[in-house]
Amino acid sequence: MMERKERKPYWRHTKWQMVASVVPFLVLIIVLPLYAQSLNTEKFLGFPLGYFLSAHGIAVIAIFTVASFVNRQDAIDHWHGAHEDT
Amino acid sequence: MSLTSRTRFVNPRLGTYFGIFTSSLAGIVLLLIIFEQLGTSEIVLRWAMLLGPIVLYAAIGTAVFTREPMEFFAAGRRVPAGYTGLGIATTAMGATGIVAMTGVFFLIGFDALCLVIGGLAGFVIMGVMLAPFLRKFGTFTVPSFLGRRFESRMVRILSAGLLAVPMLLLLAAELRMGAFAAAWLTGRPEAVMTVTLVLAIVVTVVLGGMRSLTWSSSAQAIAAILALIVPVAIVAVMVTNFPLPQLTHGPLLRALVYQEAAQGLPLNEAAGMTFMLPGEGYAPIAKRFTAPFGNIGPTAFVVATLTVMAGVAASPWLLPRVTMTPGVYETRKSLGWATVFFGLVMLTAASVSVFMRDFVMDIVKDGGSQSLPDWMRQLMELGFVRIAAGTEQLSLTSFEFARDAVILSLPIAAGLPDAFVYFAAAGVVAAALAAAGAATVALGNVLAEDALNGLSWEPLPRRGRIMVGRIAIIGVALLGGAIALLAPTDPVRLMLWCFALTGSTLFPVLVLSIWWKRMNAFGAVAGLACGFAVAVLTILAGEAGIIGLDGALAGILGLPAGALAALLVSVATPGPSRTMLELVHEIRVPGGEVVYDREMRLLRLKNREHG
Repeated sequence: MMERKERKPYWRHTKWQMVASVVPFLVLIIVLPLYAQSLNTEKFLGFPLGYFLSAHGIAVIAIFTVASFVNRQDAIDHWHGAHEDT
Repeated sequence: MSLTSRTRFVNPRLGTYFGIFTSSLAGIVLLLIIFEQLGTSEIVLRWAMLLGPIVLYAAIGTAVFTREPMEFFAAGRRVPAGYTGLGIATTAMGATGIVAMTGVFFLIGFDALCLVIGGLAGFVIMGVMLAPFLRKFGTFTVPSFLGRRFESRMVRILSAGLLAVPMLLLLAAELRMGAFAAAWLTGRPEAVMTVTLVLAIVVTVVLGGMRSLTWSSSAQAIAAILALIVPVAIVAVMVTNFPLPQLTHGPLLRALVYQEAAQGLPLNEAAGMTFMLPGEGYAPIAKRFTAPFGNIGPTAFVVATLTVMAGVAASPWLLPRVTMTPGVYETRKSLGWATVFFGLVMLTAASVSVFMRDFVMDIVKDGGSQSLPDWMRQLMELGFVRIAAGTEQLSLTSFEFARDAVILSLPIAAGLPDAFVYFAAAGVVAAALAAAGAATVALGNVLAEDALNGLSWEPLPRRGRIMVGRIAIIGVALLGGAIALLAPTDPVRLMLWCFALTGSTLFPVLVLSIWWKRMNAFGAVAGLACGFAVAVLTILAGEAGIIGLDGALAGILGLPAGALAALLVSVATPGPSRTMLELVHEIRVPGGEVVYDREMRLLRLKNREHG
């Protein structure tokens, strides 16, 4: 169990991790489709690039965001001793 | 600690069990293919494909019956991350997601992505901002969490009442979609099939509650995903020589884009807030596949993405799922799995629609001079496609497609054996059962725990608690069936309203309740009531045509209204008490005992002292 005085630094750390995971992701998913039209002239794996990035790209980005968050947040938990007992 | 380590015990044979299920399912399909070639009557095959899997789900559901509240309401907190993710992904899309999304992709191409991106973002937001904390708190329902977090019975009962509305909408939508597929499969009226599905759900989940739901819906999810992917993978091998439709339809799509341009398919330019989603029934292909913003304007695209995101992230029929994993770390991972499965299915739906457009393009690309191929005549006989009135020369726009039948059309167009079409329909029924079952159990639990027993923190005695839970589940299933029969609205619209309502009502309050410790009960009540009221009024006004805003986009007003009300009222009223602050501090830390389980343990000790 975590010590009481670790609470504040732990939560500060967690908050920044949340911001670092969510904000770039939200910006990407809002901005990317808006530029799909102009990206469609390029191609990748045969796909028009704009469509490919908005469909496959965002799926991969979402998986990457969650995976990196799980990894980083677990490291933060262990650093502050806030992890679960095993 | 002995108390938690026992509950963390994950059944090591899960893989074996679901392996057996998957091979039984494959066995059914292969047998049907064999019997079809042997000339068994069609109606027998159709009923076997519908009832065979349903019997398997019901067997799984009843086999895990239970009398323990911890098992009945939280599946014993030992569902591993992968299965939780599978269940969450399938429940979030449901039959409406799979069937209608394929049709919508087919008809409006790129613009359908707003719903896919919304779903993916919803899982990310849920995993990062909500799920781990709800897992640490460990209550069985979302209203219980809110009520306990704000130490207010008012919040608990109010949220239970308000959340029943979107959950019933979802239940009705899924039942209608499932009944559509089942009715097509068996040739019986949709009303009969709705009743059948309600019965199937009740039989499956009534004995084991959440535990039955978890394991039967894992099986349903496997069936639904296989039924979607296997036919497309076969078509992909036929068309592109590689069984990975999600990645190989690129060159096909590029050729399609040129031909669509040659065919003169319109390149619409939708204004900012236009939101024209194809409804139920027949519609021609509206625009070129990869061109963005033809039916849905850029602003509406972003708003729809964010609305679905908030709705999925805060959905009270998905969130109880995340409290059933063995720990906070597993909960975070489960949302990663949900993203994987959801992405996989949605990309498959997109490839189904590209293949289907390609098949149709083959008919018309030589100027439409040749006669219609056999499969197109078969689709027209089935009522999946019709030719628009007054057509003299065939072009891409002279066909009108039934939106919800596109997914069933592909195996027919590719000339696969009929058993694959039946399998696809059975997959739709499986997805409908998974999503409708989740809504039924989640709402049943809310009724049993937060409405009937909402005034007391102390749960009913063990047997009574399970009994009330079972009765509530039956009641909700019947009510959902009645709504599906009495209010035949387009399931996609129902689902979008449901997301708009949940997002506006619950999302701001849930996020703030965890990330802002100054938030108090008054703020929560204001946020819930205001978000709900604004969203309902916007939907009604939008549908009546009073304002030029589609009902599905109600989140654009509801979300900020809910958040603002919660913030302002919280600041204007006295701060939260010391115990409340201590509780917030506690749920923010993954380590230590689950808050709800500890409270229940202390309650039992206290009762033993007094008794």
